[in-house]
Amino acid sequence: MSDAIAVGIDLGTSNSCVSVVTPSGRPLVIPNEWGETVHASVVGFLEGGAVLVGNEAKRRMADDPRNTVSSAKRIIGRYFFSEEVRRARERMPYEIVEGPNHSVRIKIRDQLYTVPEISALVLKEMKELASTHLSREVTHAVITCPAYFNDNQRQATRDAGRLAGLEVLRIINEPTAAALAYGYGKGLSQKVAVYDLGGGTFDISILELGDDVYEVLSTAGDTYLGGDDFDARIVDYLVARFRDRTGIDLRRNTWCMHRLKEAAEQAKILLSTEEVADVVVERICKDPSGKVLDLRDRITRQQFVTMVLDLVQRTFKVCDEALQAARLTASEIDAVVLVGGSTRVPIVREGVAHYFGKEPLGDIDPDHVVAVGAAIHAASLMGKEAGTVLLDVTPLPLRVATVGGFTEVVLEKNTPIPIERSKIFTTSRDGQEKVRIEVLQGESALAAECESLGSFEFSGFRKANRGEVEIEVVFEIDNNGIVNVTARDRETGKQAHTTLRLSSGLSAEEIEEKARRIQGVRLARGTG
Amino acid sequence: MDAAFRVEVETLASILDHLDYFQILELEPGATYRDIKIAYHRKSRIFHPDRFLGHADGDFVAKVLAIHKRITEAYTVLRDEQSRRQYEERISGPERELHLRWTLQQEEPPAAEEGIGTTEKGRKLYGAALAELAAGRLEAAERNLKMALVFEPNNPHYARKAEEVARLRRASLLAGSLSST
Repeated sequence: MSDAIAVGIDLGTSNSCVSVVTPSGRPLVIPNEWGETVHASVVGFLEGGAVLVGNEAKRRMADDPRNTVSSAKRIIGRYFFSEEVRRARERMPYEIVEGPNHSVRIKIRDQLYTVPEISALVLKEMKELASTHLSREVTHAVITCPAYFNDNQRQATRDAGRLAGLEVLRIINEPTAAALAYGYGKGLSQKVAVYDLGGGTFDISILELGDDVYEVLSTAGDTYLGGDDFDARIVDYLVARFRDRTGIDLRRNTWCMHRLKEAAEQAKILLSTEEVADVVVERICKDPSGKVLDLRDRITRQQFVTMVLDLVQRTFKVCDEALQAARLTASEIDAVVLVGGSTRVPIVREGVAHYFGKEPLGDIDPDHVVAVGAAIHAASLMGKEAGTVLLDVTPLPLRVATVGGFTEVVLEKNTPIPIERSKIFTTSRDGQEKVRIEVLQGESALAAECESLGSFEFSGFRKANRGEVEIEVVFEIDNNGIVNVTARDRETGKQAHTTLRLSSGLSAEEIEEKARRIQGVRLARGTG
Repeated sequence: MDAAFRVEVETLASILDHLDYFQILELEPGATYRDIKIAYHRKSRIFHPDRFLGHADGDFVAKVLAIHKRITEAYTVLRDEQSRRQYEERISGPERELHLRWTLQQEEPPAAEEGIGTTEKGRKLYGAALAELAAGRLEAAERNLKMALVFEPNNPHYARKAEEVARLRRASLLAGSLSST
């Protein structure tokens, strides 16, 4: 194991990035053959079976929207009936269908793919470009996920790594990785806030950095808030103005909307450095008489600020919550680390500086910082670095369902991991042979508003009168933030048999079968 | 790896279930929040399983993990004033051995459990009572529970809940009369 190469991979909603710690101890962000270090998390299924991943796939998205999958991370580890999947089905040009056990499948050219398979193709691209650059087969990786990811999403992310042929050393939280990159080799003793505004999600983590121990004090997030929402505001504005001028509703055509989204994203990026952005989308549609129309508009930075101000303010509500949980005030934070491309937006930086009363750090590239942190942790797990001990927390309360559609908390959010907590259940009928327990994660006391992790059925304990058998159920959250549940008869100590009833995850056999499929895929090389 | 450390892990793992959280973290009874945090960091530095990832001896790694989980558990319970106070009470009582670990007792029967109610009306009323309780409407909750007990007079869950709600209601009435005088 010691001579194997382990990389850190930031598997993002919009972009991914891969990094490694070189033998000299310096973190390196690995470029592809065109010198690009940030790769679009876009997977294009080409005719003939090859698959194109990255920026080239993103550029070709408009030409083949139905066979190009973007933002798969938004729906990874989600049930088909979830709000996220409903939204994706509305917005995404590729076909999303229902699989077994309420799972999600993506249908491309009559082939069905699970969401982890799509993410696995992005990871495979990262693995291959790292292997090419290092002239060595990369076998191990630390993969990051948003701090706010629940158990289902974490498991699905880990599955994606396995499908890509990687030994997943650890799933770590993006803000925690960023803090590692920030503190690496500096020997700091500070309280740090990591403000992570990505394409699709917002995370904030508060950490206490000591010499060689980093403790996450709290984490909070919003999985429905990111740079894509900024783009959507610009799109709304452009669509409304175009309708006022021409009477044509561009929303009816997914191709138009796709081109508009691209233009909106470019305008947003331009407005990070310029005061004014001109938006031009040529030949966007035809009017009723058949005349081809262009969309030409202009957005000022001030207009853009007005469009997104409420979104930026929403992030500070989440910051309030995280600080409160860490028992700190904004002024007690020594440093603020920015993560995610959306933190390039000036109003976001200004807002952060104002909220914390200090300028956020600008020395690390917000697109690289997470991958670099993951690479540092990977090197430390491989025993190549002295290593910092990471003490992370669980982002969501772990619950069990009770009667009447309610739940009870087993482990509060912001509880340090790895941890176990047991709960004693007693049988409520004479001779009862089974106990079924539904495990959930979420903020709400109502089961329907939480994410179900599965329904466990325990059997095999002795038969006795009601209330006589005490079953100790142990809930464990491991270092990856992944939940395990076991049970035993408290008196005899006998382990109960467990069956997991509801789960959208992949079985061991499915992973093996799909791993063969993914490893057989030929990755096309773009033209740069 | 250090042979002495190996012995330490083996020993600690074997007596883990007989130690209280103060002993796990090597803390004095009067330890402050700061002391607890420092101890948690110090112990994590030694026993964090990341240090032994890929170690050939799986049994040894499992023991390290068990120790680290207990360290985390101790920290979680002791750093919170309320749970710490309860824990200190429990471990200084006569049933000390039973309370070395923070364990949750079942408050409600699990949802998927059959046999909470024997009649459909009873179950429905019980569910409604819990909803009222969650919304803070104690009077309505109590009424629903009394109705549920009409259908199933011998149901212990209903009776226990009804008692609990009645107690809450008396407390809130008392608080109300105190604040109005």
